[in-house]
Amino acid sequence: MKVDKSTRDLLLDIQKSKKIVLEGNILKVIEVDPSDVEFSKYIKESLDKDKETRRRRLDITKQVQTQNKDLLASQVENERINEELKETLEVVELSNKDLLASQIENERINEELKTALETAELAKKFAEDAKDAALDDLEIVQKKSQFELMGTIVKVALYVIMGVGVTTTLMYAIALLSGADTQIIGSTWSNMFGILLTNAFSIVGTIMGVKYASEKKE
Amino acid sequence: MIDSILLVDDESLFHLVFEDACSLLDISLTLECLDSSDEAVKIFEDMYKTGKPRPECVFVDLNIIGSSFDGIELIRKVTEMGNGMVIGIISSSDEPEEQEKAKAAGAQFWIIKSDEIEPRLEDFKKDFPKYKDYTGQFKIYK
Repeated sequence: MKVDKSTRDLLLDIQKSKKIVLEGNILKVIEVDPSDVEFSKYIKESLDKDKETRRRRLDITKQVQTQNKDLLASQVENERINEELKETLEVVELSNKDLLASQIENERINEELKTALETAELAKKFAEDAKDAALDDLEIVQKKSQFELMGTIVKVALYVIMGVGVTTTLMYAIALLSGADTQIIGSTWSNMFGILLTNAFSIVGTIMGVKYASEKKE
Repeated sequence: MIDSILLVDDESLFHLVFEDACSLLDISLTLECLDSSDEAVKIFEDMYKTGKPRPECVFVDLNIIGSSFDGIELIRKVTEMGNGMVIGIISSSDEPEEQEKAKAAGAQFWIIKSDEIEPRLEDFKKDFPKYKDYTGQFKIYK
């Protein structure tokens, strides 16, 4: 692309007065007459300035790009850490829930144990009461047996005493009525009768003593 | 020098880097930047319909965030519309599997983005005539 003289002069004038030159790829398409030293110098200086500006911008952009990459990497790392924290929190919350559930379960088991203990104590009391009642019944049965035995002994003893007394009395009466010698049988009868009465009272006394002793023991 | 270049990349900062690098290396006179593959497809459809001038070379990023499809799919769509443009990937990725996919989709080159992009663009500039007349093989600029 060729530049006419007026444009050339205008560009050079702007450079001198305002220090503004052309920039960008347009400089690469401008054809310059080699004999025009001033305009050649203008284009060369403009190109050099453009390159310098682009180089500086390129360096800065690369620097920003690197920083941006670092920032992005940091962001990714932060997101990863946040995700890890979130997961850890979730695990902790889950553990807390498990702990709470275990606590509730423990409380329930404790309550059940308490109830079972109370039931066992109640059962123990019932068993002890039943045992006491059985022991009382046994004792009553034993006492009843003892009384029956004593009654039987008393009856037998009285029958024996009465039998012996009646027999001896009959023999003494027969002897008296038949006119036989009653000296021996008479003394024997009185002795026998005395002994029987003594023994009868002795038996009754013994029985009463035993009864009194067993009642006192209770 | 390449007449016109179109860059499709979601990273705005890379637009500036690419523009300055191309200017400093005298690679291209005109450069247009887009940040979405959807927008790029619309523009290409319009160009093919209306016969508007197409860019001489297209650089496409592999993963274009915010777009419906990636760079390889964009290349496939553009290649299906017709040829006449040099097209390839410019990405920080260096996955051989992806590079094979890009090649199969119609990409002619793969430039790996880094802090020092200028030497790779300079190499690409030297190889550009071969890509233009379809004699250049698929090449990865590392």
